[in-house]
Amino acid sequence: MTSPGITNRRLRLRKFNFRLITHLTGILLTYLAASMVLPLAVSIYFRDGMQFAIVVSALIILMAGLFFRNILGRNREYDLKENESYWVTVIIWLVIPLGGTLPYLFTGVLDSFTDAVFESYSGFTTTGSSVLANPENLPPSMLTYRAITQWAGGLGLMLLVVALLRKLTQGAFRLYEAEFSGTQQRKLHPRLAKSVTRMWTIYSALTAAMAVILAIQGTPVVDSFCLACSTVSTGGFLTSGEGLAILNNGALATVAVFMILSGVNVAVLYRFFTLRWRNWTHDEEVRIYFILYLASVVVCTLAFTAADNGFVSSLQYSIFHIASTMSTCGFYIPRPANWSFLVSVLTFVLIAIGATAGSTGGGIKLRRIIIMVKYIANYLTRMIHPNAVFRVKVNHEVVETDYINKVFAFVFLYIVFIVAGAFILTLCGSGIPAAVCMAAANISNLGPSPLINSLGASLDYSLLPALAKWTLTVLMLAGRLELFALIAVFSPAYWRRG
Amino acid sequence: MRKANDIKYILRFLGIMLMAEGVMMLSCLIPSLHFNDGTWWNITVSGLFTFNVGLLLVVSFRKARQLANQRMAYLLVVLMWVVLVLFGTLPFLATGTLLNFSDALFESTSGITSTGATVFSAVEWLPASILLWRSMTQWFGGFGFVLLVLAMVPSLGINKYSLYTAEASGADNTGKQASSMGSTIRHTLGVYILLTVLFVFVLYKSGMQIWDAVNITFTNISSGGFSIYNNSLERLTHTQQYIVGIAMLLSGVNFAMLYNFFTVQWDKMTHKFEQLRFYLALYAVAAVFVVLALRLKMDYPWADALRCGIVQTLSVLTTTGSLVGDTSQWWVPITFLFVILSLCGGMAGSTTGGLKAMRVLILIRHVRKILRDRLHPHAVNPVRLNRKPVSAHIVTNVMVIFMVFVVVIFLGIMLLMLSGINATESIGAVIACITGYGPGLGTSGGFGCYAAFNSTAKLICSFLMLLGRLECLTVLILFIPAFWKR
Repeated sequence: MTSPGITNRRLRLRKFNFRLITHLTGILLTYLAASMVLPLAVSIYFRDGMQFAIVVSALIILMAGLFFRNILGRNREYDLKENESYWVTVIIWLVIPLGGTLPYLFTGVLDSFTDAVFESYSGFTTTGSSVLANPENLPPSMLTYRAITQWAGGLGLMLLVVALLRKLTQGAFRLYEAEFSGTQQRKLHPRLAKSVTRMWTIYSALTAAMAVILAIQGTPVVDSFCLACSTVSTGGFLTSGEGLAILNNGALATVAVFMILSGVNVAVLYRFFTLRWRNWTHDEEVRIYFILYLASVVVCTLAFTAADNGFVSSLQYSIFHIASTMSTCGFYIPRPANWSFLVSVLTFVLIAIGATAGSTGGGIKLRRIIIMVKYIANYLTRMIHPNAVFRVKVNHEVVETDYINKVFAFVFLYIVFIVAGAFILTLCGSGIPAAVCMAAANISNLGPSPLINSLGASLDYSLLPALAKWTLTVLMLAGRLELFALIAVFSPAYWRRG
Repeated sequence: MRKANDIKYILRFLGIMLMAEGVMMLSCLIPSLHFNDGTWWNITVSGLFTFNVGLLLVVSFRKARQLANQRMAYLLVVLMWVVLVLFGTLPFLATGTLLNFSDALFESTSGITSTGATVFSAVEWLPASILLWRSMTQWFGGFGFVLLVLAMVPSLGINKYSLYTAEASGADNTGKQASSMGSTIRHTLGVYILLTVLFVFVLYKSGMQIWDAVNITFTNISSGGFSIYNNSLERLTHTQQYIVGIAMLLSGVNFAMLYNFFTVQWDKMTHKFEQLRFYLALYAVAAVFVVLALRLKMDYPWADALRCGIVQTLSVLTTTGSLVGDTSQWWVPITFLFVILSLCGGMAGSTTGGLKAMRVLILIRHVRKILRDRLHPHAVNPVRLNRKPVSAHIVTNVMVIFMVFVVVIFLGIMLLMLSGINATESIGAVIACITGYGPGLGTSGGFGCYAAFNSTAKLICSFLMLLGRLECLTVLILFIPAFWKR
């Protein structure tokens, strides 16, 4: 332990910790290359002829990774300042998905760079928007690869860094914060690395469980694996063009259940599965999440039934649709014959709210919404009783004013991003409602939603012009990094004196 | 439960307002008799009825003392607007120009809240008295009835500040002293009247009939947007359109600032300078985009592109809603930009609707502050406006109003869609109503009208206009149970 004075001086003296950043990026690149072993194995097993392309892209990524890790990143120091942690986050999120485009390009699955970037970002940010209208035509190896990108992005690349690099003590928490919201909650373990390991454990366990259950229910093995990866990470890449038509009803129910679960805070899931029940029921946000889910299902079912659909089919559809929307997973199944406007608005609101903080889902996060609603209610009451003092409490803990201010700023920015993104989409020829919904669905990392379909736009993103694809890509990334990291790096205030 | 005196006081206050409204109606007799449109009897009846109801209330409750409970100021203001709107339907119903109550309510609310949304697909056949009534409600409503009363009636025995904030939701509470409220409001009214007279004169000089000049000035200086022509401003000469543009531009500027400008107290203007700069900068950027889009995407000749872009963008940003062309036919991104601009609105303390430049500016600065806090966690970074730190409770107020706006817009869209309006129309109508812009998207946009909306949708829209005019909080607070508890 060096004394803080010395550390501070050293921090101030040395320049930007460029070497550590490239080192971390390099490590992740090597892992990206390593993850291609599985698609390669699938490719060899199914003889789909993609072996060579996959090996080449893996090798290129591996070389780049080693170059970054060992040559550019030599003699690094293991600490990160606040502003550097933003850089790590942004650089890793720029480099890794770009590296991830190689397999798409080399295998010839996608031939334009824009499409590859879109698909790759959609994977890593667990959005699930796709330019591939007929994924069933993809070779199995590439299906696997897409699913793996989602799985890796689900808990977050930064969390991977934190888990892999135990040496990183200073600044690790900032990385954890950068893409994992709800940082106010208690960690699973006093040591960050340990709690992150526990999160990865529960995450992997859920994925494995789901894959096995799906396979038992009669889904082909590759599809089971891919869907499990896409569900638990709330990604939502489909394996076939007609929604989830290849699944039977039992399998659909499994998907629905796992979607709901993956929208729940991972820490809470950990407590649940390690049988710490009391702690589990304690979490106010998760409780509200489930209440909101049930209420939405009821409203949605009633709305569809009122629109002349059968009750049972409405109920089935609602259970699936609301689970997919609230967890920001983004799977869809064939929708009822008559769509209901009430469901449109409900879906849009749920998309914006998103999943719980600390889950793999996207969106504004329920926790922020709860804080905001409570604060506004307090504010109105204070207008009536000007001298009363109110505090916002979540989970019986007082939320500090600073945090509330951040929440408001975040939500404002979120809306600004949606509106700005939608504006660019209208430039590309979308109608206003469709543009707004598409922007919201992508910034919330939901991806394809029947809502967009119901407004007359297509879920096939390959039909969009390049500008629209790039806009949506930026939105996905912004949503995944919860805006601030991305804005911080591009804001003038950040560059003014280091 | 509630003290009887407060109720009496409110009723007396309403009485005063109704008497004023009655006089307004009766003044519509002038064009009615002059143009001989045959509605003088109907107008007299509705005017006298309104006036007498008011007189009755004032006489019966003349002994009411000051409000004991300040929170009743909210109730007072909301009730006042509702009652004014309700009685404002009388001329439409009495003359038979609108037979349906929901239509009349919509038109009356749209006038009194200076929104400018209309159910008339064509207005040129309307009797002159009704045309003037529409314009006049916008002129008074744009300024704000509470402010009018506060300016005209010096001693009401009420805390003026509480009433003022109830109407304007603390929009202009930077550096405003409760003690100087009275004089500020009088100055503001002076500027308003002066501008009106000025633009009537200028338009008259530019070759317009005095009747047209009065109506057009009334509806544009108030950021209203009703018109006496079917095609709004399109019929005017190009010079006249630019003149109206200037009127709209000024209607988006803080009136206290204009007062300081006209009385050569320019040093006092500095403390609102940043809002002004933001308002003008936003306008400039948007106008450039619209002009270019009109020229390049829609192949307007340069002169038309410039004129339409410059004037129409002003009309949108100030939430006036006068039209120089059929905007519903314009390129989709332009109409979307218009939606965004109308949400921003002009400066606080002007006649415009929307969020107001000051609030948008505070929101942006707040986001910047949060970013700086993250980069320099130990620095003190207040939100600053005009180089002065903005107090935390104003920032909070702004954020809460913004969020409530968003929530209300969502609920409004949901309700409209439930009543059977399609998505585009709902979005357009809700935002047009809550910001006070007027024309929506689709059939209700451009030269279209809201006639196709069903009566439920019209009621929802009317409510939204009122919510928007009173900036949501004042109305919503009445729905909080705590308001009604002791």
